[in-house]
Amino acid sequence: MRAFLDSIGYAHWILSVLLLLPLAGVVLVLLAPKEWARWLTLVVAIAEFVLALGLWITFDPDNGGMQFTATLTWLPELGISYRIGLDGLSLFMVLLATAMMPLLVWGSWFAIDQKVRGYYALLLALKTGMIGVFVSLDLFLFYCFWELLLIPMYFLIGTWGSSNRLYAATKFVVYTFAGSILMLVAVITMVTIVARGTGETSFAYDHLVRHSDLLAPYAPWLFSAFALAFAVKVPIFPFHTWLPDAHVEAPTAGSVDLAVILLKMGTYGFLRFAIPFFPAFALSRGVAAVFVALAVIGIVYAALVSMVQPDLKKLIAYSSVSHLGFVMLGIWGGTVASVQGAIIVMIAHGISTGALFFLVGMLYERRHTRLLADYGGLARVAPKLATAFVITAFASIGLPGLNGFIGEFLVLLGSFGRFPVAVGIATSVVVFSAAYLLVAVQRVFFNPITKPENLELHDATPRELAVLVPLIAAMLWMGLYPQPILRRTEAAARRYVETVRPYLPAATTAASTEAR
Amino acid sequence: MPIDLRGPLGLTLALLPVVLLTAWSLVVMLVVAWRHGSEADSRLAGWLSVAGILGAAGATLWLWLAGAESAGQPHMVYLDEYRFVSELLILFIAGATCLLSLRFLGKQRLLAPEYYVLVLFATIGMQLMVASADFILLFIGLEVMSISVYVLAGFDRFRRSSAEAALKYFLVGAFASAFLLYGIALVYGATGQTHFILIGQQLAGSDRSLLARMGLALLLVGFAFKTAAVPFHMWAPDVYDGAPTPVTGFMATGVKTAAFVALVRVLADAFPTFASLWQPIIAVLAVASMVVGNVVALAQGSLKRMLAYSSIAHAGYLLVGVWTATDMGRAAVLLYLIAYSITSLAAFGIITAVERVGSRTVMLEDVEGFFRVRPWGALSMGVCLLSLLGFPGTFGFIGKWYLMTAAIDRNQLLLAVVMGLGSLVSLGYYLPVVMAMTMKPERTPDAHRQVLFSRAAKAIIAVAVLVNLLFGVWPRKVVDLALSASQHMSAQTARRPAGDR
Repeated sequence: MRAFLDSIGYAHWILSVLLLLPLAGVVLVLLAPKEWARWLTLVVAIAEFVLALGLWITFDPDNGGMQFTATLTWLPELGISYRIGLDGLSLFMVLLATAMMPLLVWGSWFAIDQKVRGYYALLLALKTGMIGVFVSLDLFLFYCFWELLLIPMYFLIGTWGSSNRLYAATKFVVYTFAGSILMLVAVITMVTIVARGTGETSFAYDHLVRHSDLLAPYAPWLFSAFALAFAVKVPIFPFHTWLPDAHVEAPTAGSVDLAVILLKMGTYGFLRFAIPFFPAFALSRGVAAVFVALAVIGIVYAALVSMVQPDLKKLIAYSSVSHLGFVMLGIWGGTVASVQGAIIVMIAHGISTGALFFLVGMLYERRHTRLLADYGGLARVAPKLATAFVITAFASIGLPGLNGFIGEFLVLLGSFGRFPVAVGIATSVVVFSAAYLLVAVQRVFFNPITKPENLELHDATPRELAVLVPLIAAMLWMGLYPQPILRRTEAAARRYVETVRPYLPAATTAASTEAR
Repeated sequence: MPIDLRGPLGLTLALLPVVLLTAWSLVVMLVVAWRHGSEADSRLAGWLSVAGILGAAGATLWLWLAGAESAGQPHMVYLDEYRFVSELLILFIAGATCLLSLRFLGKQRLLAPEYYVLVLFATIGMQLMVASADFILLFIGLEVMSISVYVLAGFDRFRRSSAEAALKYFLVGAFASAFLLYGIALVYGATGQTHFILIGQQLAGSDRSLLARMGLALLLVGFAFKTAAVPFHMWAPDVYDGAPTPVTGFMATGVKTAAFVALVRVLADAFPTFASLWQPIIAVLAVASMVVGNVVALAQGSLKRMLAYSSIAHAGYLLVGVWTATDMGRAAVLLYLIAYSITSLAAFGIITAVERVGSRTVMLEDVEGFFRVRPWGALSMGVCLLSLLGFPGTFGFIGKWYLMTAAIDRNQLLLAVVMGLGSLVSLGYYLPVVMAMTMKPERTPDAHRQVLFSRAAKAIIAVAVLVNLLFGVWPRKVVDLALSASQHMSAQTARRPAGDR
């Protein structure tokens, strides 16, 4: 297989094809008759996924650098090029994005019955933007994809969302744009400073990282601008309020895309850009304390808020804030284990929260309510849905044997050396997350049936099982045999840690080495 | 192709596009005197004007491609790429305005074909402004342009708001002209010259006399009025709102282009040694325009008024480029003028089509549900708004990014940050328009049925939107063009030996 892929030059064109194929799909969907829209999207989605599988096969796990790179000149005088590539970190984001795509189409199959063409076209455009963010190795290109993502998401929430959709859509765009506009200023400033030091104007990621020492004097401001953009996206505690609104109002596919990919863009940004560009400042004791504190506050606060949510979708949205707190903790942990753990939590959270949003969407299609109080005893009428929900909830809680466990465990283990107190608090919060999800499961599926409407609910259809079974299989696989994923992420994590290790405060370096 | 600008023949050649258009506008005027009754006559005048503009554009192109340059001595007119590019932009704006007006004049029963003659006169004035290297010529151009635009603003003589706009514009404009003229006089008093470069040479040798400093200050006030920079912007919203919509588009783009190019020239050639004096003033004007323009635009319900305030904000962005006083900054001004003009023209073209017969203006509610009925129109409007917002993938982003780069290149982070925050605020008034068009239902079942685009308007809007997207994704050519134009401009200035006239 690998020989065949090499013989067709797979490594050279694959990422560009993954970027262009959905765009071609957008054109096709818009031109073709309305009835074809979902079929065309499904074909494009499956083609995209099959093509992306080659990434998994041919990816070289021992290479911590960028693979599958391609470069085309764009604005050479200004140092801007189309530079793409991926490493162990972005590999899984791209795979998640492409693997989720067919499921999203299946999930929306009947749920979307108006303005069908626009819906699927936007879904495809969103995919290009997502993949673009994770494979861009040029900051100009990265910024373009980062912003372009807003448009499809805005329309998805605003047009196909539920009652309060206009507010949620606007809030989503304003928050993200507010965060990222200063990042643009910071990017231009960085390039100008590096150009003065080296005589070469370039937006290339490698070039900027190599000369990151030139940026050190300006690091506080530049890092803040980047951190704000990414913190809004993660979202870190005080910037998180757009997330519940966007999640609740978005259509199911929008919520899933948000959870699976868009939230990861923030943590990805920290790992890829904000910290490697300004390691000395970002990892200095004060800044690290702020971020770890915010991460822990996010973990605790979101878990507590989840416990009192009457709305199932909002509950899951807040649980995302909690999970992403673990990722932030792992990133600042600064050991191979914690960084790898952070990457794994990103993947695992994508799968399990994505599945939870699908399940809530299925319940909503049946009963047109998201309130916990309106359900009860569904396990008797819909055992398959109940089973799927329970497994996914366990995965999300972090039960050993399912996907949520490994990542959180590695994060806690790897970060303990540097932040014992924070890790202690975060560990105890796992109990809360068990509490809110299990209570929700109980109220939806196990209490006696009080509402007569719930008696007539039908169980999962084959189409819905086609969405759920692959996700649950992935949860089990990741939980029981994570070795292939660990192996592919290790080199990237190690490379990141080696980049930042010299900048970790001296006193704790010894401790973090022990923790490895 | 060196042109000797001392003789009348050389000057005529250098001003060939202006001369051609002037002659042609007289022809159009004669035709109009003859035939001015029906809508067909009005259209005839419109198409004739477009033909004349095309001819002038051809002449400009010929001068450019023939490599026209002056034979060495100081002269009244510039012959450099910066002029040719901006002149072509102005001619494009004028042509597009004529095409967008074709149906509008019939719809609003403004059947006076003199409209097109006035557009031509205003265009001639703008051409002179971007070509002039001498205050006398600059002032003539400015007056020709302004007087024509005063009349155009009040062209809808059945509407009070239009008359109010004209009167307001006239009074404030006259005020601004007086400031400018007074400034010219003081500078002349200080240096004994009216030619930009000779003034620059005079001022370089001497210490800064009070007279020259006052002259510069008054000139800046005059230009700030014309470019609608805060705090000299008070006239703009009423005038933009009251004038007939295509004229608003013409004012927002053409007048702004001419005034900014002239401002760049004056500051670069006549006052390069006074940079420490005018840079803080320009910076303050820029910040004030960006803040006031963007914040006040938030509160507007009328689309034309909103775009008027946003054009004040855009003047602020452009002033950031003027502030830098570098080749890159001047290139950024030119680039942004192109981006802004193309985008605004299309936006005003769409508003022209949406505007109901006899209604005073277009409100935000009037475009609700526009996407369902006129998807292409709404899509084009969406692209224009994103471009004005400075969203990646559109020409507006390239322009804004280049302005920011030019400012940061001069270590001016503050202006760049204000510009970024200004864009953020502008999201607050561009986004509701997109939302109203795409996500809200129509007010009445037959809303937008009467929104019809003439074929010419469709063509212009389509071209503008496609160019917008093309340069948004592939800006290399146009960025190079702006940069080489501005380098050409400073090279010409530097090369010029001192000499008597």
